Amino acid sequence: MRRIAPTTARGPRYGVVASTLFHGMIFAAALFTFHRNFDTPDDSHVVPVDLVTIADVTNVAAQAPPVPEPEQMDAPPPALEPPPEPQMQEVEPAPEAPVPDFKIAKEKPVEKPQPTRKEMAQDFNALLNKLTAPEKPVKTAKPGSRIIQGVGTGNLMTADLADALKSQIYRCWSPPTGAPDARDLIVDYDLGLNPDGTVGGLQPTPATAAQAAGNGYTRAAAEAARRAIYQCQPYRLPPERYNVWRQVNPLRFDPRQMMGQ
Amino acid sequence: MKRYLVLFAALAALWTAPALFTPALAALQVDVTQGNAQPLPIAIPDFVGDPQLGANVAGVVRADLERSGLFRPLDPRGFAERITNINAVPNFGSWRAVTAQGLVTGQVTQQPDGRLRVDFRLWDVYGQSQMLGLQFFTTPENWRRIAHMVSDAIYERITGEKGYFDTRIVFISESGPALKRVKRLAIMDEDGANPIFLTRGDYMVLTPRFNPTAQMIAYMSYIGNKPRVYLFDIETGKQEMLGNFPNMTFSPRFSPDGNQVALTLETGGNSDIYIMDLRSRAMRRLTSDPAIDTAPSWSPDGRQISFESDRGGSQQIYVMNVDGSGQRRISFGQGANGTPVWSPRGDLLAFTRRTGNVFSIGVMRTDGSGERLITSGGRDEGPTWAPNGRVLMYSRALAGGGGSQIWSVDVTGRNERRVLTPGSASDPAWSPLIQ
Repeated sequence: MRRIAPTTARGPRYGVVASTLFHGMIFAAALFTFHRNFDTPDDSHVVPVDLVTIADVTNVAAQAPPVPEPEQMDAPPPALEPPPEPQMQEVEPAPEAPVPDFKIAKEKPVEKPQPTRKEMAQDFNALLNKLTAPEKPVKTAKPGSRIIQGVGTGNLMTADLADALKSQIYRCWSPPTGAPDARDLIVDYDLGLNPDGTVGGLQPTPATAAQAAGNGYTRAAAEAARRAIYQCQPYRLPPERYNVWRQVNPLRFDPRQMMGQ
Repeated sequence: MKRYLVLFAALAALWTAPALFTPALAALQVDVTQGNAQPLPIAIPDFVGDPQLGANVAGVVRADLERSGLFRPLDPRGFAERITNINAVPNFGSWRAVTAQGLVTGQVTQQPDGRLRVDFRLWDVYGQSQMLGLQFFTTPENWRRIAHMVSDAIYERITGEKGYFDTRIVFISESGPALKRVKRLAIMDEDGANPIFLTRGDYMVLTPRFNPTAQMIAYMSYIGNKPRVYLFDIETGKQEMLGNFPNMTFSPRFSPDGNQVALTLETGGNSDIYIMDLRSRAMRRLTSDPAIDTAPSWSPDGRQISFESDRGGSQQIYVMNVDGSGQRRISFGQGANGTPVWSPRGDLLAFTRRTGNVFSIGVMRTDGSGERLITSGGRDEGPTWAPNGRVLMYSRALAGGGGSQIWSVDVTGRNERRVLTPGSASDPAWSPLIQ
């Protein structure tokens, strides 16, 4: 029976060298990949620096090139006399605030517009409690002037509670009203209340979270609603019916009436 | 067997129990449909780092946001917490105590290479989280523009709409007695800072309009006693006549791509709207009605042009396709309606309404519906849109021929306020966001 020569028999040193090299490479790769993890934060109180450098070069024109004095124009008919110096005295006083005076710019009368306005890369904090978006964003929240609907607690027995909550929240709610389509501003929240009327848990419904992720108007509306909910707490509601108002879902904010739409 | 039945019953009970109890645990449903529109209270302490520039930048940001009417910057003297490190999480409780809902912390530092570095963070005081963090580099002279960019970023993050603070206004500066008034082309920042004369005042100038890159201005001038349209290059200061026509041209407006200018050309007593291609200088006629057709304004997609015409007996607003087809009247309100200006957002037309001696600024949808007046001065005309389509500026004539002022108003009709200019000013035109 022939013995197959062990691989080491050919020259064990090659194996050792190869193995050392290989392990060295892995170690180097690991160092390269994970070196950030070895940095220890200077101060646990410091938040991670997530400022975004918009551009390594200056965002604004580095220096406006010398521009001819604005008064010296290549106007078809040449100007005949030097421009009168603008005088503040000639002008009427401003009613409520100091009025700026003209200056005749000598060197850089006009700031050179920048060559490009870099898209402001923005690193936003995770919004709306980092809810994961459902696969399919819901285009708009369901419109309708429903006040109370459905079964269970959504009936006349709870209409007074809904009104009580509404009357306490509305003072704090100042929605953005500039969107071209008011439906972008309708947002739904899932609000959990503590027995003392303070906010126990708050998150946008998955549909609102998904829409806010892709629509700046919806995001602004969702944040305005969240500010309102926090600002107006605690809510005064009958404690004996806590089991009815402990969870409010959906708590809908719909500014269409305010916008006349 | 009996044991299995018990087990089955227990399982069934477990299965059905939630269904039985769910109604009692169902959540309350609430619709909030009325609110309390208030400017957002926001705290903007002076930026740290360079003390002078830090105070200057924060001051400009406060003024920008306050002017918008959507924010209420709080008095820094009332702040309990002193920001020293913008990378540390602020004590949100102390900011809630001064009623702030937003907080801006920032830093201005001089770089070794002489550049200025401006960092800032926007915090949600109730959400206790950072909403935005940005960093800018610039030359020290440009600190005002950086401050405006900071304001724009905050405005956009909070309202969901683009800002408009890093923009400029070109306007007509008026001086001298009413009978011998000198009208000069002038330009200033959106907040009224850095006003500069662009022309000498030898000739009357009117109706300046920016091109889409804010580097070129088209306007009408009475050089040689003949009103004609000129172009002014802001960078070089050069002027040129736009086409040499025997008759007067006026009311210019750049196309959204900047390659064409729509204007009015008067021939034989009849004014019609033309489009001039700026490269070939070829003119194309759009209207041929014997009435006065003027004040063209492009839709943002460049496909339609609104204009005013008195072809129906009184001055009214019309819309046509960019080839001149499909001309149709869209304004049917009271009085005369003119100077339509298409919103950069495309949803509205701003216009001037004249009823008797009362002039007001209004807006309507582009089909003429939803018309409403938004100014209250009674002598307001010549609207121009902020690049975000949310705010308008216009001229307000003072009583007794005492000159005029520039005013601004939110498209909702709220926040009507004067734009401070040195002396009398009219005919404002709002630039796009500076590139």
